[in-house]
Amino acid sequence: MRRHLLCSLVFICPLFAQDTVAPSAGETAGPARGVDYGDYNVIQQWETGYRYALIGGDVGKYRSDVNYRNGIRLFSSSLSVNSRDGHGKYFDEIVLTTQGLGGDPYESVMLRVQKNRLYRYDMTWRLNDYYNTGIANSGGLHQANLQQRWQDHDLVLFPQSRFKFRAGYSRNKEDGAALSTINLFDFQRGDIFTFNSDVKREFNSYRVGADIDAYGFRLTFLHTWEYFKEDTPYSLLQPTAGLNPTDPSTLNTFNRSSPIHGSTPSWLVTLSTEHKYFALNGRFTNSAGKNGFLQQETASGTGLSGSVTRIITTGGDARRPVTTGDLNLSFFPTSRLTITNNTSFDNRRMVGNSVFQQVDLLTFDVVTYNFEYLGLRRIINSTDAHFRASKKIDFFAGYRYSNREIKSIQSTVDPTTPFANVLTAQTDVVHAGVAGVNVIFNSALRLHLEGEVGRNDNPFYPVSDANYHTINTRLQYRKRNVTAAAGYRQNYNNNSITLTSYSSHTRNYFGNFSWAARNWASLDAGYSYLHNDSLGGLQFFAGAPRAQLTTGTSVYVSNIHAANLGIRLALKRADIYAGYNITRDVGDGRPALQPLGTTDALLYDVQTFPLSFQTPLVRLTIPFTAKLKWNAGFQYYGYHEDFGLFSGPQNYHAATGYTSLLWAF
Amino acid sequence: MKIPWTSALLWVSLLAPSSLISQTAPAVASGYVGSNTCRTCHPDVWANFYRNPHYKSVASGKEPPAKTGCEGCHGPGAGHVAAGGGPTTIPHAFSLMKPEEIVDDCLQCHVKDVSKANIRRSAHTDANVVCSNCHSIHKSQAPKYLLASAQQRDLCYQCHATVRAQFEMPVKHRVNEGSVQCTDCHNPHGTFAATWRTGQRPRLVTQTSNNEEPCIKCHQDKRGPFVFEHAAVRVDGCETCHMPHGSMNSKLLKRPVTFTVCLECHNGQGNFGRQADGVLLQSAAHNMLDPRFQNCTNCHVRIHGSNADQNFLR
Repeated sequence: MRRHLLCSLVFICPLFAQDTVAPSAGETAGPARGVDYGDYNVIQQWETGYRYALIGGDVGKYRSDVNYRNGIRLFSSSLSVNSRDGHGKYFDEIVLTTQGLGGDPYESVMLRVQKNRLYRYDMTWRLNDYYNTGIANSGGLHQANLQQRWQDHDLVLFPQSRFKFRAGYSRNKEDGAALSTINLFDFQRGDIFTFNSDVKREFNSYRVGADIDAYGFRLTFLHTWEYFKEDTPYSLLQPTAGLNPTDPSTLNTFNRSSPIHGSTPSWLVTLSTEHKYFALNGRFTNSAGKNGFLQQETASGTGLSGSVTRIITTGGDARRPVTTGDLNLSFFPTSRLTITNNTSFDNRRMVGNSVFQQVDLLTFDVVTYNFEYLGLRRIINSTDAHFRASKKIDFFAGYRYSNREIKSIQSTVDPTTPFANVLTAQTDVVHAGVAGVNVIFNSALRLHLEGEVGRNDNPFYPVSDANYHTINTRLQYRKRNVTAAAGYRQNYNNNSITLTSYSSHTRNYFGNFSWAARNWASLDAGYSYLHNDSLGGLQFFAGAPRAQLTTGTSVYVSNIHAANLGIRLALKRADIYAGYNITRDVGDGRPALQPLGTTDALLYDVQTFPLSFQTPLVRLTIPFTAKLKWNAGFQYYGYHEDFGLFSGPQNYHAATGYTSLLWAF
Repeated sequence: MKIPWTSALLWVSLLAPSSLISQTAPAVASGYVGSNTCRTCHPDVWANFYRNPHYKSVASGKEPPAKTGCEGCHGPGAGHVAAGGGPTTIPHAFSLMKPEEIVDDCLQCHVKDVSKANIRRSAHTDANVVCSNCHSIHKSQAPKYLLASAQQRDLCYQCHATVRAQFEMPVKHRVNEGSVQCTDCHNPHGTFAATWRTGQRPRLVTQTSNNEEPCIKCHQDKRGPFVFEHAAVRVDGCETCHMPHGSMNSKLLKRPVTFTVCLECHNGQGNFGRQADGVLLQSAAHNMLDPRFQNCTNCHVRIHGSNADQNFLR
């Protein structure tokens, strides 16, 4: 038994991804675990200790990417209580796992409690400490320091019977401090001002449903009520000058409240059955999302034409009713052939009214009635066939037809004018085919090869899939203690427009290797090369002293080499894991940026973004007793941009580590 | 007194424990020997089987032999017992079965789960990645779903090495950190057609209960509905601008700077966009050589959708 468990662990070990240094992934304090209490068996494992982080360089970027900090943590814990005969009084199983509790930026708890035939309850709780400097997208003006917490509760009554009752509740709450910006006092030439926001967002979802098994069919109903509200207040702490140094505008006071309260009641109905020669399943959903909002903004300061005091009030509602239907029919005419036809329909209409009222106390008064409609209707039919020619080879192919209609009305003027409510409609049709083959050369070696070709006659955007193809191939060798795989993926898209032709090419190569050399030694290594290049036409206004319409080309080249290596040694007195990860984008090979000032330099400088990110780690585990282990680990994070695209490189390096005790029985 | 043998049989069957009836009585006729027989030679499997979700069928005591215990999945064991063991004598030895046979076997019970409705046409089934490739019934290290690896991500990374590389980039969803799971966004058992984009892809991307992109399960503030929708988000999905797994660029964007993300579509050309006459060209008042116009979202702060402004300014 011990040997069997040990072998299982060794088999699993080489497959570990290099995650964070703690908790001590996969570590257990001896194979003979579990204590019997009455009719229950209990297994527990707790790992607690101290984590530290020494950070150098751009701390903000480190917090955006990694965010581990100092402190005592319950790195991980797990508890399993199982009834040994499946007839517990109140429950037959409890499974509880936690990770990172006590201050890690990523904390989670998962709980399952169930009693056979009577109920099953699942709960997950997660916390994410989100920090973002926002340097790249907003020059640091959208910095955010937020905390997001999710929880999901699902209860099933009579889970093994023909009639199941389901109920659930989910909650998603986000709060914290953030910065935002606004363009004020002149829509075209106005300056940009920074202000604070106290983020408060909350989402609650309640659901009730049932499954009924009758006459070989299962019918499922689920009714969901979802509620979202955002009550983030925005304010200015002190008078501020705008971000444009040549613009004399100032903002003296600013306040905004913009509560949004919405609800989305929805229905889900599914029907399924499976028989010897055919299977059927269908789904119907209907939802009616609605948001009501009221926004009031007061700003005073100095604009280009003198002092301004402005009050803006906006109110209205937005609605999104969605109806979808899907029907799958599968046929099994012979044991070698499966044919599946799927028909999907979805219709969504987004419609909203907004009254925008702007009052400038010294100059003018504007009232605008806004109305917008966006309607999407899609019909998709696809047929897939899978034929098993022999035990060694099988083929599959599929064809999909999609027809999508997009209707749009945009009206941002007084509706009494004749320009309001002009409907635009367009349709695009996609024909896409997929085909592939699986070959089993022998018990160890197998090949998967597939490709897809698609044509869209009227893509919605220049970067949408229009004339595309993909190739995906994978060769795998797996025998006893060795697993090796290599593969290639390709995704090419070409979308012709009059300015130029947008094209993107993605080519991915990978190889990985896992070897459990001995029951105490294993190795895991992998390499991926991800190439991406794209070319698109740009048209914008630029120039000095006056901006002129300018045509240019957007080129982006990324060549990423990613490698990982992990070695695990399970020695008599210690377990050692050492790993190394590096992700390096070499860009297009250029050594430096051009000095800014011209349009050509501006476009040239953003064509590539070479950088490297590496994370070596080492972890040591020493068993004190069969149930108690001491762990220590060190992980280094190094982020290095070859040249600073955003007013200077955001480079950082961090030495993180931990020490912990793991107790299990 | 002479008791007719049929009456004796009736009395025995009435007095016998129900579990004995279910495991033994029909076995004689149909080749089922009951889990207790299997346990004799496979004590290691049986020792921890009470922790297995499939133990419910044993604990129930009411299931027919073909749907309970070892033989519920592996088929009647009489032949295996008579032969003195060996995998080839097990009617359903999963290590020897063809992929489609494994799917058929598991679906006998699991077919009616909504989440598995599309397994017959899923990309995984097409690639011969079937139940036993990801689930280990007897050697699972995971507390839920009998996964073959202790961590779900390790299981997926075995085949999706390039995705692993994406999650090891500096900007990524926190999968390796344990905060996000692959199944938060994907359904490995197959999905209905996605309600964004129109090609064969994305495949295996799960949807919310009312058929929206999985991104909005966490990013609720981007969900709307908005009076002014950024149509790109609703028509082609979040991945129009973002790389959902990981990126070398901030905010999981496809480009290192914002203005190229925006201007690649907003060039006024072709018959693209809502009005089918080109996606709106930027304002003539925006001089792109002025750094303040290079960060588009500094002014267009509500880029995912706004209730107050058609240009997403507030």
